[in-house]
Amino acid sequence: MEVDRTSHELRPMTCELGHLSRSDGSATLTQGDTTVITSMYGPGDVRISKEIIDKATVEVTYRPKIGLPKCSDKLKERLIRNTCETVILSGLHPRTGIDIILQEMQNSGSFLSCCINSACLALLDASIPLKYLIAAVTCCISDKGEITLDPDLKQEKKSVAILTFVFDSKDFNVVTVSTSGSFSNEQFQSCLMACREASKHVITFYRESMLKKLSKSV
Amino acid sequence: MANDLKTFQPKEYYRKFLEKDVRPDGRELGECRSTVVNIGSITTAEGSALVKLGNTTVICGIKAELANPKADEPKNGYIVPNVELSPMCSAQFRPGAPGEQAQVLSQFVVDVLQNSECVNLQDLCIVSGKLVWMLQCDMICLDYDGNVADACVLSLVSALKNTCLPKVTVNEETQAIETDDKITNNLKVQTTPVSTTFAIFDDHFVIVDPTIEEETLATGIITIVTKEKKLCMVHKPGGTPLKDSQIQLCIDRAIERSGQATKLIDETQCSLDR
Amino acid sequence: MAGLELLSDQGFRIDGRRSHELRKIQCRLGVFKQADGSAYIEQGNTKVLAAVYGPHEVKGSRAKMLQDKVLVNCQYSMATFSTGERKRRPRGDRKSTEMTMHLKQTFDAAIITNLYPRSQIDIYVEVLQSDGGNYCASVNAATLALIDAGIPLKDYVCACSAGFVNDTPIVDISYLEESGGGPELIVTILPKSEQIVFLEQNSRLHEDNLSKVLDVASKGCKDIYAILDRAVRDHVSKVSNVANTTE
Repeated sequence: MEVDRTSHELRPMTCELGHLSRSDGSATLTQGDTTVITSMYGPGDVRISKEIIDKATVEVTYRPKIGLPKCSDKLKERLIRNTCETVILSGLHPRTGIDIILQEMQNSGSFLSCCINSACLALLDASIPLKYLIAAVTCCISDKGEITLDPDLKQEKKSVAILTFVFDSKDFNVVTVSTSGSFSNEQFQSCLMACREASKHVITFYRESMLKKLSKSV
Repeated sequence: MANDLKTFQPKEYYRKFLEKDVRPDGRELGECRSTVVNIGSITTAEGSALVKLGNTTVICGIKAELANPKADEPKNGYIVPNVELSPMCSAQFRPGAPGEQAQVLSQFVVDVLQNSECVNLQDLCIVSGKLVWMLQCDMICLDYDGNVADACVLSLVSALKNTCLPKVTVNEETQAIETDDKITNNLKVQTTPVSTTFAIFDDHFVIVDPTIEEETLATGIITIVTKEKKLCMVHKPGGTPLKDSQIQLCIDRAIERSGQATKLIDETQCSLDR
Repeated sequence: MAGLELLSDQGFRIDGRRSHELRKIQCRLGVFKQADGSAYIEQGNTKVLAAVYGPHEVKGSRAKMLQDKVLVNCQYSMATFSTGERKRRPRGDRKSTEMTMHLKQTFDAAIITNLYPRSQIDIYVEVLQSDGGNYCASVNAATLALIDAGIPLKDYVCACSAGFVNDTPIVDISYLEESGGGPELIVTILPKSEQIVFLEQNSRLHEDNLSKVLDVASKGCKDIYAILDRAVRDHVSKVSNVANTTE
């Protein structure tokens, strides 16, 4: 089902917060048709071998929809873990562990940014102290040089390069970059600027979701 | 006195150097360590290269095997890179199954190969749909002194340029595979991807080619892979946010470095042929 | 029997050596900065690296800790590209585990173990290119690495292999000569006291010939000892020169 949207708009996003009863924080984020469930536990116990004396230990586990986690998933976990480590004020919870578990439900394009956004929402849901919010946006460059934001699977397959940027909500500087395919320096800069504009919408979406959640609970 | 400061307050020790625009080993902030490339030292492998980036040493060996292609890609061969971080290279690695760092590095090299398309997989095809070459690239880290990712990519590209594959024909009547060791073809490498890693320290210092001490003290890392003048991968896994101007600086430095590295590989290749 | 002639009528072997000649040995100490001691040795086409870490606290299971001696932990690993056919498992297969155990037994006997109780010394050996004599090159490389790390040894540990072809014992056999099917004797000795630390023999060898082959192998070990000793002295004098000039 093709939805008409301009190349500079993000797909519609919906989320549900706090729906898992056992975890400290949980979020299900849907961007277009891509869905990721994130659950997080923390700050809690951590194995002595992994303990850090002045900070919290952040661990990320990613589970694909089918099959066992592969080598390529380890790189995703490392990326998300480093991003979350930058954001979390881990100095406030030394010698504890924060576990973030991501479960892929459906991959319809822009998967990495959906994972990072849902991880941020889960951290918000669990009230973990953060330095700033993070917003992830994916864009792809087609073989004609056109930039499309938040591509779906079909657009990703036809593209020459796919870039994912993560911005912080304070100064909108780049926290994380992950790219595939080849592109020129100028294309990189234009994607950067386009994604930065779009990330502001993501931050607004976070605020609206939190408002909705908190206004419901008594 | 300097040693005491280095042990108890490594960050302070480091800051004193960075304020004067220099690093403890005498390099400038934008200077890479001396690179040494040695090609073709392992005669049992089809292609091999040893790269020393300062003290970091990685040896790459390429073995070629015959395999059946995938049903949906009958003309494509395989290139399978694998990075091994044994306990020999550093006290922080334990013996046993590949740890997280080794898997992350292996996946990084796979992505670099895919993004840069440095070897056309169709060049590895012998008989479409039936027989293709599978190149197993094993990179063994011998000395882990920071920036292993760059050394791995450099060694892999140098080894690929050095690879010679024997001529293989399939006898039509008997369907037997005949290998002719005497006739060898050089593997055609289309582009030379070069990776450059920068470490971010304290939000505003960006240093090139970190050593292991600099890597542990850094607050973030960014790796840029370039091929000729185009970018084929920008990888920044979290860490301190960077301003656009800083990223631009890194990209310019990476393009400069890639020119130097490509020249080094070509010179080594020429001296080998002589 | 048609095939490769391991020993020609004029007394030359396949690679042009005589029956009592060793392959060319090149070695270097202190090749890695991360390891406490390291060495690289080339015996003909066999290239082996060794790295030593320790003595340090017992890592892994505390149960393995010995109260009165140091725990020697070896790992023998062959690079996947080291042999003609790609090796699927660099370590963990039976041959590698056997080699690891032999190395451990050898160095347990050579290191003065009661100096470091409740500690561990790690010896890692990596074979980059394999052309016969893997075990011997590994032992020689590990000896140099232990000396580089400053770990007290009872004596140098030198290993050499020998075979028996056409009623002539040949020393330092290469891969082709090994696969020829003749008997192979590997001996590891402490050169000064002439004590045998490790001895292994494959295939069939008549007991009358045993002493001949053993003598040839021991002589080979002593020749290797001379080469290793010279390498160590060169390395130390180079390092001390550098230390002198920087003061």
